[in-house]
Amino acid sequence: MTERFTLRTAAIHGIMLILALLAIVPVYWMVITSLKPDNEIFSLSVWPDSPTLENYAYVLTGLPMLRILWNTTIMSAATATAQVLTGLLAAYALTRWRFRGSGLVHTLIGLSWLVPFQVTMIPNYVLASRLGLLDTITGLVVPNAAAAFAVLVLYNAFRGFPKEVIEAARMDGASHWRTLWEVILPNLRAPLASLGVLAFISAWNEYFWPLLLIRHLDNAVVQIGLQMFMTQEGSQWGAMMAAATLATLPILGIYLILHRQVIDSFMKSGIR
Amino acid sequence: MTDVLHQAEAVAAPRVARTGRFTIAPWLYLAPALIILFVWIYLPLIQAGQLSFYQWNMLPTSTPRFVGLDNYRNLLTLPEMGIAVRNTVWYIVGLFPLSVIIPVAVAILTQELSGPLRNLYRSLIFVPMIVAPIVAAILWRWLLNEDYGLVNQVIAGLGFSKVGFLQDPKIALWTLVWMTGWKLIGFSTLLLSAANSTINPAYTEAARMDGASRWQIIRDIRLPLLAPTILLLSMMTILFGAQWSFVYINALTGGGPLQSTTNIFYLMWEYGFQTLSAGWSAAAGMLTFTAFGAIALVCLWLMKRLAVYDD
Repeated sequence: MTERFTLRTAAIHGIMLILALLAIVPVYWMVITSLKPDNEIFSLSVWPDSPTLENYAYVLTGLPMLRILWNTTIMSAATATAQVLTGLLAAYALTRWRFRGSGLVHTLIGLSWLVPFQVTMIPNYVLASRLGLLDTITGLVVPNAAAAFAVLVLYNAFRGFPKEVIEAARMDGASHWRTLWEVILPNLRAPLASLGVLAFISAWNEYFWPLLLIRHLDNAVVQIGLQMFMTQEGSQWGAMMAAATLATLPILGIYLILHRQVIDSFMKSGIR
Repeated sequence: MTDVLHQAEAVAAPRVARTGRFTIAPWLYLAPALIILFVWIYLPLIQAGQLSFYQWNMLPTSTPRFVGLDNYRNLLTLPEMGIAVRNTVWYIVGLFPLSVIIPVAVAILTQELSGPLRNLYRSLIFVPMIVAPIVAAILWRWLLNEDYGLVNQVIAGLGFSKVGFLQDPKIALWTLVWMTGWKLIGFSTLLLSAANSTINPAYTEAARMDGASRWQIIRDIRLPLLAPTILLLSMMTILFGAQWSFVYINALTGGGPLQSTTNIFYLMWEYGFQTLSAGWSAAAGMLTFTAFGAIALVCLWLMKRLAVYDD
């Protein structure tokens, strides 16, 4: 009995270990390659004999990397804030009032993810260039300032909110505006925060729209910076890996601290 | 992800009882989100629909010329289009084992896993999901490099000949499928494990008492109860699988070698921003949108039915 049991346990751990290694070895190899000096790049050792930061120095001097990381941080923070805010207001409207057209609105918001970006890219590009948004951080944020998943996640959070509390606030004569900020918001901090983190990560990893919009390295976000760097110096493996590591560190940092919340919020809402 | 779950509800949201008089307040709250979605998604969709009947090279100085159904007619006879559609299907089919089949198997096989290691595994297998696609492209390009990549060095070390993962037209597409799936496999596994752990143990216990075998319990109890989640993941794979692979195509192969890795989304991009034939791109876009939209509606309808069955 116990022997069979341990055999099965071993098999289970074996499966999970394989999956975990598949997930983590590529990332580890990226980091480790970035720390290897040129003469060790092609070696298979799992730790460099003489670890070096020269690849990082190369990337930081050869690319406006800090500028790019700063651009990305601003863009992601602004996008996440905007998505949470617009989502909050829209979800409040859909749960607080019963009004004609709310079903249609809900459906239109929900189905917007069905439209592939490649279908709308040309009109979007034309509009962005008319508005003078090409090659700007603002241009990256504006079209993404509202997201269906933000509205829908918050809609579900709102529905779980006790009606009696809202009713009591109304009895006290609070306006719907004050009710939102003083009664509901303080109680929804957790879902709002995890939505914010999720939106930040998604914005940080966004690729397609920046690819269309950004022309110069100085205005680039990190995904496009990496793409340009790869096209120019594709076989500088150490430097490539250093740049990729730098681009990933902020997200890995968030994940290290908040991994449980991040996993939960991804499972609740969204790959895009 | 569970956008889609909410969707099943949203699409068939019951009509709210009419209050009779119009209230402005909710519309003010909705305005920011609705304006953005309208200006950047629905309006462009309509414009793309119009554009698909025009010929235009995207230069601000030139005016679009109306060509009726020509764009559609040309597209449907082009061999490029046929190849792109066929590859799109292969991308989706190839992703299934990684995004659905293996995760289902792992979730069921490892359901007894407990203890402190469980959370460590969870945290580790989720990591690819938060790695940016372009970073994934760069690190796999390095791992799979023909001469010096870790994978090929191991293959050579084992005595086999090296593989041109991105150079061989027979293999390149599957390499990109793997990169796309690498990001999904852990996520899908966690989602299915979560669903599997909510299955009431009373069901499986009762079946065991009745003498059901392990396999019978899986087939007759677990799989049916996991069906909504499996369907959700399948739907995501079908709808978005080929879109997710776009970044790898664009960053690593440019659709080659010999058009072997192109797909419909990459073709639209090429028509739009490389050969500057906006009308063709828009026409391909409308066809794609219609096809995937129809599939999505069928999936949502199926999910609603299964969700009822689950209760």
